[in-house]
Amino acid sequence: MSKVQLKNVTKTYPNGAEAVRGVDMEIQSGELIVFVGPSGCGKSTLLRMVAGLEKITGGEIHIDDRLINDVSPADRDVAMVFQNYALYPHMTVRGNMSYGLKNRGMPKSEIDQRVTDAAKMLRIADFLDRQPNQLSGGQRQRVAMGRAIVREPKVFLFDEPLSNLDAKLRVQMRIEIKRLQRRMNVTSIYVTHDQTEAMTLADRLAVVNDGKIEQMGAPIDLYNNPATLFVASFIGSPQINLMPVTFDGQHIISGDIKLGGFQNLPESTELMLGIRPDELHLDDNGQFPMRVDIVEQHGSDNLIYGGIVGGMNNGDEENEFCFKTDQNMLPELDSSLTLGFNAERAMVFNKETGERLR
Amino acid sequence: MANQPDSGTIERVGQSRASVLLAHAVLLLGLIFMMGPIVIIIASSTHLTATLQLQGLQWMPGDQLIQNYSRIFSFEAGFTDQVTPQRMLANSLIIASSVATLTTILSLLTAYAIVFFRMPGKQVVFWFVMVTLLFPLESRFVNTFGVAVSLGLINTYAGIILPALAAALGTFFFRQYFLTLPKELIEAATLDGAGPIRFLIDIIVPLSVSRAGAIFVIAFMIGWNQYLWPLMISTDDSLYTLVRGIRLIGQESGPGMALVVITMLPPFLLLLAFQRWFFNSLSAHS
Repeated sequence: MSKVQLKNVTKTYPNGAEAVRGVDMEIQSGELIVFVGPSGCGKSTLLRMVAGLEKITGGEIHIDDRLINDVSPADRDVAMVFQNYALYPHMTVRGNMSYGLKNRGMPKSEIDQRVTDAAKMLRIADFLDRQPNQLSGGQRQRVAMGRAIVREPKVFLFDEPLSNLDAKLRVQMRIEIKRLQRRMNVTSIYVTHDQTEAMTLADRLAVVNDGKIEQMGAPIDLYNNPATLFVASFIGSPQINLMPVTFDGQHIISGDIKLGGFQNLPESTELMLGIRPDELHLDDNGQFPMRVDIVEQHGSDNLIYGGIVGGMNNGDEENEFCFKTDQNMLPELDSSLTLGFNAERAMVFNKETGERLR
Repeated sequence: MANQPDSGTIERVGQSRASVLLAHAVLLLGLIFMMGPIVIIIASSTHLTATLQLQGLQWMPGDQLIQNYSRIFSFEAGFTDQVTPQRMLANSLIIASSVATLTTILSLLTAYAIVFFRMPGKQVVFWFVMVTLLFPLESRFVNTFGVAVSLGLINTYAGIILPALAAALGTFFFRQYFLTLPKELIEAATLDGAGPIRFLIDIIVPLSVSRAGAIFVIAFMIGWNQYLWPLMISTDDSLYTLVRGIRLIGQESGPGMALVVITMLPPFLLLLAFQRWFFNSLSAHS
């Protein structure tokens, strides 16, 4: 049971590139925190700084009350699961799992005990004497987790651990990781670029963009109440519908489309209107005439993509919206629909700064 | 490897009979060119010196096998009769295995440092090593000789061995392999409490064994076949190697040919012993 604290942590590479710019964070004991963001946003760097694989160029990282800035990775009492598993190819599963314990001089009987327990928990007990190249991707992933678990570390670090697995296995492993983490109750940091993974796993989610924490909170809060345009567009699948608009004091305007129900927005500023695909509904008196381009059938839901007639974006092209509806709704291609929305649930952002205005 | 079909049995779709025949013809020709000299040497080693000198080298075996081979084992030469086949064989083995061992270790360590560690100018170091490929030992004899003299290495094993160790090939070979290993491997080991030396011993060396075997064989042959450099750096008869000894017994003599056969044997046996490793590590699948 350990908490992790980041205080104004920065990472500047010798060539001047800033990968992490001043991150403050407090992770509670037993919490599973997910760093999510596009590739190159600095989320992995941040994780690797906690692991000690990247030097911290500014700020402080504490595990419990111990400052670990200059503590070697091996002595930080953290264990990491890598995207490509990084198993030692010439060692058996048992060898892989016990290597770290052996290096720490743990007695053999205790190593055996821990390896056996972890293998049972991960259902890899039958493979203990195999080598990694005789295992499937999912099994290798389990071994990588086993190697972390036997260490009984203060903090688990996961660096996109599921990215190399196929979609079905990814969902299974995701659930399993969550279950394991609950059961072991070890403080964990999990990095991913997959927002579904992030939403489903996280106790709290940190959206990282350009080396900064854009917003941090419970996944559902981030979904319902994104603080910035970036968070709104990153969280949620299918993505939030965005439309560049302006405000004339009474209406929000985009091309020929005028929307009421908005007040107190800055005039003569470029704004961005955001509406989640499931906040749209069919409404003959609706404000958005849509010409259907594509219907994606996902089983229980259909996603209908189409241009909003009359609405303009910057390129003077029609805005493409996504409308999430049930499986019975199957419009013809190129047919027209009229969609309404609830102004209460719509979001407005400053287009320039990304700041949420309502 | 074990579960791969023998490459000779792979059916290649869309390949005509004619092109298969042509390929076989080319391979056959290559075989003749490579095996021909060896057959001549072995056959000639069983003839009288007189036959060789009058009729040239022979394709067919003669009847002097026992006489020629027993002759070289009783042969002595040199100012104080220090040059015996046993002595030369021992010298060759000492020199070749030292060159092979040291080259393998040195290239492995160099490549390890270059690939796994961040250090300033490591690319420069690497390319500097590669440039030595362009300057074989023969092209830097004069300078190397000067250095060897100033270090007092004339007439020593070290003098023969050390200059042959700068083998960029091995470094390059190991580097290419290490680059295929995920860099997370060393990070995982770091978190597992293994420092650079532990990582080298526990992970890198076991993974590199088959490649090290291949480099060992190649370096052994380089060391074994050295001729010009030992000739320059050693004047002492006791440092004669087999390759140099052939001259003493007479190149175009029956016993001379027998000595050539003896000289070819150790590298051949070594290759035979290391063959599986050697080919595994040179093919992409290992």
